[in-house]
Amino acid sequence: MMRKVSFRSFQALFSAVALMFLVVTGAQAELLIRVTEGADSAIPISVVPFAENGNMPAGDKVSSIVQADLAMSGEFRPLSPQKMLSLPSKRADVYFRDWRLLGQRYVLVGELTRNGDRVEARYELFDVNREERILGETAAAPASNMRSLAHHISDKVYEAITGVEGAFSTKLAYVTLDRAGGNARYRLQVSDIDGKRARIRLESKEPILSPAWSPDGKKLAYVSFETGKPVIFVHELGSGKRKKVADFPGLNSAPAWSADGQSLLMTLSKDGNAEIYQMNLQSRKVTKLTNHWAIDTEATWDSSGEGVYFTSDRSGGPQIYYMAKPGAEPRRITFGSRYNARPRPDASGNYVYYVHQRDRAFTIARTNLKNDEETVLTRTGSDESPSVSPNGRMLIYATKQSGESVLTVISADGGAAYSLPASEGDVRDPAWGPIVR
Amino acid sequence: MTGQEREFTSTGVPPWKSPVALSVALHLLIVGVALTGWSWSSPMQEPPPSSISARLITQQKPEPSPVVEPVEQPDPDQEQKDLEKQKQIEVQKRQKQKEEEARKVAEQKKREETKRKAEEQKKAEERKARETQEAEAARQKAEAEAKERERRKAEAEAEKQRQQEAKRKAEEEKQRKEEQRKREEAERKKKEEQARQEAERKRLEAERRLQEQQLEAQAEQARKARADEARRQEQAAAARARETQMLSESQKYQALIRERLSQAWYPPSSATEDMTARLQITLLPTGELAGVKLVASSGNTAFDNSALGAVKSLNRYPVPSERDTFETYFRQFTIEFNPRRLR
Repeated sequence: MMRKVSFRSFQALFSAVALMFLVVTGAQAELLIRVTEGADSAIPISVVPFAENGNMPAGDKVSSIVQADLAMSGEFRPLSPQKMLSLPSKRADVYFRDWRLLGQRYVLVGELTRNGDRVEARYELFDVNREERILGETAAAPASNMRSLAHHISDKVYEAITGVEGAFSTKLAYVTLDRAGGNARYRLQVSDIDGKRARIRLESKEPILSPAWSPDGKKLAYVSFETGKPVIFVHELGSGKRKKVADFPGLNSAPAWSADGQSLLMTLSKDGNAEIYQMNLQSRKVTKLTNHWAIDTEATWDSSGEGVYFTSDRSGGPQIYYMAKPGAEPRRITFGSRYNARPRPDASGNYVYYVHQRDRAFTIARTNLKNDEETVLTRTGSDESPSVSPNGRMLIYATKQSGESVLTVISADGGAAYSLPASEGDVRDPAWGPIVR
Repeated sequence: MTGQEREFTSTGVPPWKSPVALSVALHLLIVGVALTGWSWSSPMQEPPPSSISARLITQQKPEPSPVVEPVEQPDPDQEQKDLEKQKQIEVQKRQKQKEEEARKVAEQKKREETKRKAEEQKKAEERKARETQEAEAARQKAEAEAKERERRKAEAEAEKQRQQEAKRKAEEEKQRKEEQRKREEAERKKKEEQARQEAERKRLEAERRLQEQQLEAQAEQARKARADEARRQEQAAAARARETQMLSESQKYQALIRERLSQAWYPPSSATEDMTARLQITLLPTGELAGVKLVASSGNTAFDNSALGAVKSLNRYPVPSERDTFETYFRQFTIEFNPRRLR
């Protein structure tokens, strides 16, 4: 008994000493590894084909649309269903080990149930490494609107993983030029962001330019030459009603909505020189924001709604300028080359995107507004009309492909590129619509 | 006979006394017997005694040895004369006896014959034979008895001698043993003395050795102290070197882990440069993840999850096989996720 006690006390002493040692060394040498860079590649995700209960409408499968959406973002690398070891549709059938073996980070499973003229989707998203369900939802849509259902799921998945709101349910507006039969046909079209479900909103023999989305996504402002000269119209998409809002002498161009949807920035040359004006849409009253002998145009509000970016050739060539307040002294933003135009700030206020010419090639570039660092994002050479997605993660622009103008979507950091399916003829002036709540 | 004599000699009987004494005794005995024995009329006529005498000699005493002979030699003439005289007397005596006997026998025969002829003439022959036979048997019996007596006597004599001899031998043995004892005693004492001396020598030797050992031990201690000091310094140097080595080893694996995690980490789109997630990692010596704990959130769930996912996605962490380095640095450590460079 005595010996036991003494042994125990010795043991206690020893462990106390050992603990002290550990604590000491721990305090001295507790290792800290800093990881400051992430993978350059896209996130591996498996969108498992959804199980189907009942008749589904013809057309693309919901899971296929989700998969394409995620791929288009450039941030995800979906696994081809042919490579999947199993096709689970509920948690009980998900074997994380299998998905980890396939190098997958996330698995989306789900099932669709036909319920009259509606389809209900129940889906779950799993984090393979953490073996946790990070999303589980049921959503329903009319059987005729399966694409909306799919884009909705894409948005949810995207947000669950990235922490950023998805923009897959937003719309694109763009103008196509059809020269078939010798007659030029300009068409203003609105489609899903994958180019599907495109609908013609305006058709004209004269050019249509610069469509701009109202913040609520219900109206488009654009420039139409239908009257023989550039005139700004506001077009209600729901009713198809359109109003001529700016028909001043000279140039009426480059409309841009304010965040409250109550006013438009535009370029007018009614006083001789192209200047930036702000028009109150109620009163149609315009306020001149710039006053310079050079051309000032392509104005747009920054993310805060207080400052204005615009293009000016006051330095001798087009460059991007910024006014902290309407009428304030402009500050030049771009210096990288002799030609920088058409600024498009993102919603975060971190970046401004623009057309950037270097060595006679027109590309899309962006400047980090925090450190003024400029990054060229594209390499195609005839790139124009950048438009940033409302979540700031994607960028669409027009470029030339085998002589014709097409639209391409890239991730906002210049990663992956996704070409929208070509409609007939040239496609230009894309405008990314807002997230509609 | 000589063999027997030699045997005697070999048994350790002192040779200077035994044969002479025996020889004298023997001769005296023979004379005595010859003088007293009535039946020894003639050695030639009486065959049995010779055999008895031979037996006696064999049994009782050794034949006079050649060595003994010379001792008898000094006065053989005197003895011879005595003997002859005696013999003459004896012969005369016997002669007289013989004549007497013969006369008596003749008378007897004459009487018997007369008697027989007178009484039983016819049966005389057979009876005579029978009687002769019986007489002979009786004679033989008597003779045997005499012989037996003689033998017993001789035996008694022999026994006596033997006892004497035994006594003498015992005496000798006793003496011998006494001597032996004394010798042994002396030997023992000598040995004891030797042992004592040896012990003393050993004691001295031991003392000397002890002293030597003490000196040696002191020297050894000093040597050891110097060696210990040297070793301590060496160990300290080795420990420092080892620490350095462990540190560089650790840095190598830190870099490997950082690289692996960088490849495995997909910072979410919502990540900003001011976001930092800290995770405490516990590893097994095999490099397998034993546990991970978010100790400081970035404030962005997607960001935290991306860090957790990255940490959990590694099947095996690159860790040093060296156990000390592992225990010191990689058993438990912290990983900080902070995007310096956003896409």
